[in-house]
Amino acid sequence: MVSKSELEILAKKLMFEMKDSEYETLEKEFDIILKQMDLIGNIKDIDKVSPMTFPFELDNDDSYLREDIYNNEISFNDMFVNVKDYEDNRVKVPKVVE
Amino acid sequence: MSKYVPIIGLEVHCELKSNSKNFSSSKNGEGEVNTNLSVIDIGYPGILPVVNKEAVRKSIMVALALNCNIPEKLIFDRKNYYYPDLPKGYQITQFANPIGTNGYVMINVDGEDKKITIQDTHLEEDTANMDHLSTYSLIDYNRAGVPLLETVTDPCINSAKEAIAYLETLRNMFLYLDVSDARADLGQIRVDVNVSLKKENDDKLGTRVEMKNINSFSTVKEAIEVEIKRQMDILESGGVIEQETRRYDEVNKTTIFMRGKSDAVDYKYYIEPNIPPIKLRKEFIDEIRSKMPILEYDRKNKYINEYGISNVDASTLTKDKKLSDYFESIISFGANPKETSNVITGFLLGYLNKNYKNISDINISSNDFSDIIKMMSSGKISNKQVKDIFTKALDENISVLDVAQSIGTQISDKEEIRKIINNVFNENPKVIEDYKAGKNVNGFIMGLIMKKTSGKVNPGVTNMVLMEELKKI
Amino acid sequence: MTDKLIDEIRNSLDSGEITSDVLFDEAISKAYKYQNDYNCFVTILDNNRFVSGNSVISGIPYALKDNISTKGILTTGSSNILKDYIPLYDATVYKKLKEAGAVLMGKTVLDELAMGGTGTTGHTGIVRNPWDKNRMIGGSSAGSAASVALGIVPFAIGSDTGDSVRKPAAYGGIVGYKPTYGRVSRYGLFAFASSLDHVGVFARSVKDVSYVMDNIKGYDAKDMTSLPDEDISYVDNLDNDIKGRKLFYIKEAIDIESNSNELKNIISNFKDVINKCIELGFEVEEVSFGRELLEAVYPVYNVISCAEATSNNSNLTGIPFGNRIEGNDVNDIIMKTRTNGFSELIKRRFVIGSYVLQKENQDKLFLNAGRVRRLIVDRMNELFKKYDGLIMPTTSDIAPLFDKASDKLSEEYLILGNHLIIGNFGGFPSISIPSGFVNDMPVSVNITGRVKEDCLVLNMANKLESVLGCKGMVAKHE
Repeated sequence: MVSKSELEILAKKLMFEMKDSEYETLEKEFDIILKQMDLIGNIKDIDKVSPMTFPFELDNDDSYLREDIYNNEISFNDMFVNVKDYEDNRVKVPKVVE
Repeated sequence: MSKYVPIIGLEVHCELKSNSKNFSSSKNGEGEVNTNLSVIDIGYPGILPVVNKEAVRKSIMVALALNCNIPEKLIFDRKNYYYPDLPKGYQITQFANPIGTNGYVMINVDGEDKKITIQDTHLEEDTANMDHLSTYSLIDYNRAGVPLLETVTDPCINSAKEAIAYLETLRNMFLYLDVSDARADLGQIRVDVNVSLKKENDDKLGTRVEMKNINSFSTVKEAIEVEIKRQMDILESGGVIEQETRRYDEVNKTTIFMRGKSDAVDYKYYIEPNIPPIKLRKEFIDEIRSKMPILEYDRKNKYINEYGISNVDASTLTKDKKLSDYFESIISFGANPKETSNVITGFLLGYLNKNYKNISDINISSNDFSDIIKMMSSGKISNKQVKDIFTKALDENISVLDVAQSIGTQISDKEEIRKIINNVFNENPKVIEDYKAGKNVNGFIMGLIMKKTSGKVNPGVTNMVLMEELKKI
Repeated sequence: MTDKLIDEIRNSLDSGEITSDVLFDEAISKAYKYQNDYNCFVTILDNNRFVSGNSVISGIPYALKDNISTKGILTTGSSNILKDYIPLYDATVYKKLKEAGAVLMGKTVLDELAMGGTGTTGHTGIVRNPWDKNRMIGGSSAGSAASVALGIVPFAIGSDTGDSVRKPAAYGGIVGYKPTYGRVSRYGLFAFASSLDHVGVFARSVKDVSYVMDNIKGYDAKDMTSLPDEDISYVDNLDNDIKGRKLFYIKEAIDIESNSNELKNIISNFKDVINKCIELGFEVEEVSFGRELLEAVYPVYNVISCAEATSNNSNLTGIPFGNRIEGNDVNDIIMKTRTNGFSELIKRRFVIGSYVLQKENQDKLFLNAGRVRRLIVDRMNELFKKYDGLIMPTTSDIAPLFDKASDKLSEEYLILGNHLIIGNFGGFPSISIPSGFVNDMPVSVNITGRVKEDCLVLNMANKLESVLGCKGMVAKHE
């Protein structure tokens, strides 16, 4: 079981708020996920398998690393098309509270 | 005596030098605000990272210098957190598979060697720069994505003094390897400090307190000392240390609570899925190894063993890579190493110190420097003249060779000196009389000779010839 | 003309019977005509024009899913948080199509940030199925699928993280192709789950898909996961002999007891397809895959995709771009921007993703999901030692009515409904082609092959397509 208060903390850490009804849906969804994942945890010798991140292995070696040549693609003139508030070519935000 | 031992661990972030950023092609370096940019740096939807070979190369160089194990494959992780200076909402770093692990470095504290063990060194990216003004903040993304190498020690440091010795050794290593300018004043090197106190004769470590992002080594020293004292006071009055993050307040010389254990961020690390593991071939690592410059420790030993330079002077020469490089360049033109060292440590450094200058301010070419040392070795000029030549050249910012020419060279030829002595005798018959009368006139005659030649004669040779000539009388 | 196959359009262009401008205007006018009823587009690019190119697709209009970055052209991901976002760069797939001379005519609606399978969660409204307005086209590449099925364009680009190209293609009676992972660069594709995301192609024939693939595949220095170039044309190899090629289907998915006539008919359509395969010279065998692994497919997908999505979308804060909503301090801004910018479905998925990545849960949830992902992919690769491909009904249903489907998690193990995800787990090339009709709605068959063998998969699909009688279908005829 994942409690509503736990979910609220999770949402807050993800920087958004949710409707109450959504937490109820989520609680139900978590019931299902955790049950399903419990079953998966019972698959024989699962602990001996290394988790997969990439669909298949690419034999990339150091020659695939990028050569160190610089090229500035954009600057503030381009960037500020999408910025709501700025000053002296920098993005402006209200004071950051530590 | 105190019954507690301080246990300190250090995390050093160092910006690496490169043309481009760690995961994008925008410029790593100087620039007007928000000009060194690509869409990758500002985390636009759909961007993908591409790893900079030079950043990897430099990281491996540091890992090798720290005697670390290098993994077979290069793998990156994501560190997830929200902060306005982190445009992607995650930092690409190395968590599970750092580029160097289980290394060590030797430091010297008050003449004693100590081994500092390195947990790991890992490659990551820097954040954007934020300027906090009174009511708002401004963000410049030039720094976002600059390659950053974080080196983490084991908790094996026991005093502020050791911590500083380690930091200086590490910074010197970065300079010797030329991987970074490592200037703390520009934020190129930043330190996180963990401090805890352990009961003497007890294996159990105490609760650790972390202090983040300290910008200068002297502040690190103060912060450690202040924090040790704070923890000591708490423990001695029967209190308990809380696991927390504190900030060092330089003005009030105290550490201030920032956040506790329960507020610790879960960074939800997981493998960066956009960078498939990159095999680091043996040839690649061997090539890096073959291009590594000789480091401080090895240079120092070479100076002592091959050049017969004293331990103290060798330390002085190698402490500053620029100085050591200058020294090596001078002797590469044939100057005697020991005499060169003597001039540098016995005169030059004192001169610089007195005039608030440093080695980069000197514009004497190492070739010219070498020529002067060679003149001294062959007796053409005296030790004193060397000092005069350098002083004049440095004061007036003129060529040492021109100064040497104008001052003239030392006279060491016996017969030439004999002629001068006889001329002095002829011009000063009274002195001969005095000598015959049994007076000690040696000092007076030497003075006359020096005056006549403007001090250009070799004093040793002159004295010897003078004795011979006096005996003839 | 835009409802024809590429060969026919090419001939008309080359013979001068039609110009690319006329073709483009036709696409635009159809786009407007159908926009109200079907809602394919976020943006229709009235003023775009053919510039240059000499490939087989040059001068031909196409549509791009609105989660693919187009410099200077609004790209929203069908999310409120990006409703005004103008990218500063071109996605590699868009750049390649531009170089080939194909003409972009619109950006298509998707499920918000590609996280959904219904085509109903985009910020500009639901997308409807061209075959029946009361049904969904499926998602997330809903608008791209619908625009091809409507005959607005001969091909469109989508993205596929679980089945987001292949499923809407099936519901829309067209071909949907998800290539091998890394065959087409992901640079510029808004990331949903990076290790599962693929750029994919919709068209009305396997040949047309191959024409497009030949122009967009290839190594991209901007995508470290992209595959090295291969010196081969897919179109040139479509008619290779397939005699003796071995296919298998999964017993557990087909061998099901059901009272649903719809499902029975879908299975029976599939059995007909199998017979046609055998007549063509394929060898087809039934294989037991392992129920435990099959039942794990969806939960594993759910855990991995939500986890990656929560991280990938952390850049959406409204600060350097995005629909920033003002607040008292920075955190307040980010909070309001994200609260208002995402729909509730998306938020739920982010919470799930964040939960499974937490330190205390990660091993049991996220990493276990990764472990089972490997077991499933290993099992596929083991079967691929003997077989050249997996053949399956693409979906277990026809396009659902709007009130029937939900994006909420269900406890049902839909083995048949979820097998497409295996293609994303292992990065296998996978193609859906229409195979007939059930209840007057299109149904489809899917072939999945070995990694990097895109050419063979397209070759086998092309052969099969030639005997299914559904090539070049459109839902609307002028």
